[in-house]
Amino acid sequence: MKIHGIIFIFLTVFPLISFASEMVEIPAGEFVMGDDHDRYATPRHTMHLDRFSIDLYEVTNEEFAKQFPGHAFWKGAGSHPVTDINWHEAQTYCAKRGKRLPKEEEWEKAARGDKARIYPWGDKLPRKKAHTFYSGLIKRRVGLNKKDTSPYGVRDMAGSVWEWTGSEVEGKKVTRGGLWNFHLEYEFSKTFDRNPVASSDRLPFLGFRCAR
Amino acid sequence: MRTLEKLSRRLFLERGFWATATLLWSLLRGSTVAQELHSYEGTDFIGKTREGKYKFFYINFWKPLRRINGEAWRLKITGLCESPQSFTLEQIKSINPKTQSSRMKCVECWSARASWSGFAVRELEEIVKPLPGARGILFHCGDDYKEYLSRKDLNQDQVILAHSMNGHPLSDGHGFPLRLIAPSKYGYKNPKAILEMEYVSEHQAGTWSKIGPYSPDGTILPGTDHPLELGKEPRRISGGEITNY
Repeated sequence: MKIHGIIFIFLTVFPLISFASEMVEIPAGEFVMGDDHDRYATPRHTMHLDRFSIDLYEVTNEEFAKQFPGHAFWKGAGSHPVTDINWHEAQTYCAKRGKRLPKEEEWEKAARGDKARIYPWGDKLPRKKAHTFYSGLIKRRVGLNKKDTSPYGVRDMAGSVWEWTGSEVEGKKVTRGGLWNFHLEYEFSKTFDRNPVASSDRLPFLGFRCAR
Repeated sequence: MRTLEKLSRRLFLERGFWATATLLWSLLRGSTVAQELHSYEGTDFIGKTREGKYKFFYINFWKPLRRINGEAWRLKITGLCESPQSFTLEQIKSINPKTQSSRMKCVECWSARASWSGFAVRELEEIVKPLPGARGILFHCGDDYKEYLSRKDLNQDQVILAHSMNGHPLSDGHGFPLRLIAPSKYGYKNPKAILEMEYVSEHQAGTWSKIGPYSPDGTILPGTDHPLELGKEPRRISGGEITNY
C-alpha cells in the first residue's frame, strides 16, 4: 500500500515538476541592455522588466511535432532544436502552449542577467572553438553544452541555433542567439547581438523558445 | 702585357655574348611565364584564376576544363523523370526568360553581385516531368564537379538556371553555357558549366561536401561578409540570401 502510494504520488506529481522545470522564472528588476560598440546592437541603456518566465531550452523537433503533426525530421533528431519554421509558425506554437515569443529585451535579460554579461557564462570567449574546420551547422541535443548557461540557468543562448523573438525592427523580426559551430565568425554570439530576419523566412539555423 | 690585353678583350667579348644571350633568354622565358599566370587566353583550358578581369568576381573551378563548344554542347536531363532528353543552347535560351540581380556569397568570405538571366527550374520540370520519387538533382559539370540540391531548394523563387551574366552570355570562367544561381546558398552550391542534371531519389553529397569541410546544405549562415566590389569592407549578414547591398 505504501509503495502504491509513492508510485501514485510520483506519477501524479513528477509530470508537473517536469513541466514546471521547462521554464525559468526571471525576477523583476533592472538590467543593462544593448552595447555602444556593436553597431548591430541597441545602444546601451538600463531597463526595468517585470517578472516573466522563459523556456529553459529551445523547442525541439519532437515537441514541435506534437503541435504540428506534419512536421518531419530525421530519425535521431527529435531532441534537436526545431528549425526551418517561419515566425508565424513559431508564434502559433507558443500560443498553443499558452505562451508567446519572448520580447527581445526579455530574451536579452534572460541571457546576460543583471550584470551585463557579454556571453551567458561571462565576458570571455571559451578557449575551445567548435567545428573550426566546418562551414555548416551541426545540430545537437538541446542543452548539451553545459558551458552555455545564463546567470538564470537558461541554456543554449549563445550557441545551438538563432531564435525568433516577438520584436520587430525595420519591418523584420528580431532574432537573437548565435551559432557556436560556425567556422569563421565566433563573435556573432554575444548576448546583445541582434539579427533581423523576414517573418516568412525558413532557415536551417533559426529556431525559437517561448516565454510567458 | 699585350697578350693579357688581347685575352681580356676576348674574354670580355665572350662573356658579353653569353650575358646578352642569357638576358634575352630570361626575358623571353619570363614573358611566357607571366602570360601563363595572368590569362588562359590562347589555350583551350579554363581554370581557377583570381587575376585581371576577375578581381571583382573571383572564379573557382574544381579542375581546369576544356573550353565548351556551345554548338556541340547539350544539356542532358536524366534519371527519375518521365521525359529524359537533351537540349541545345538555343532551346535552353528560348525557355521563359527571367532576369534577377543577386549576390553570390562564397564560403571563403567574399561576395559579388551580378545580374543573371535564365529560367526557373520549374520551367524545365514542366517539360521533363520529374517522377514522384525524384527528391533532388545531381549536377554533373564540365570540370568533373558534382553538386546536389533538393527540388525544394531548387524551386525557391530566386533560384534560376542562368545562361547570361550582366547582359552577356556567361563567360567561360563564369560557367558557360549554363550554371545554377541559388542566392541563399554558398557559391559551391551554384554549379557552373553544367553538362547533365540527374534526378535522383536520395540526398547525395557534392564534391566539396564529400572531401572538404563544407556542409551538404550550404545555406549562408549569419556572420560577416567581405563584398569585393565594395572594397571587401566587412559587413554583417543575417544568413540566407544577401539582399541589403
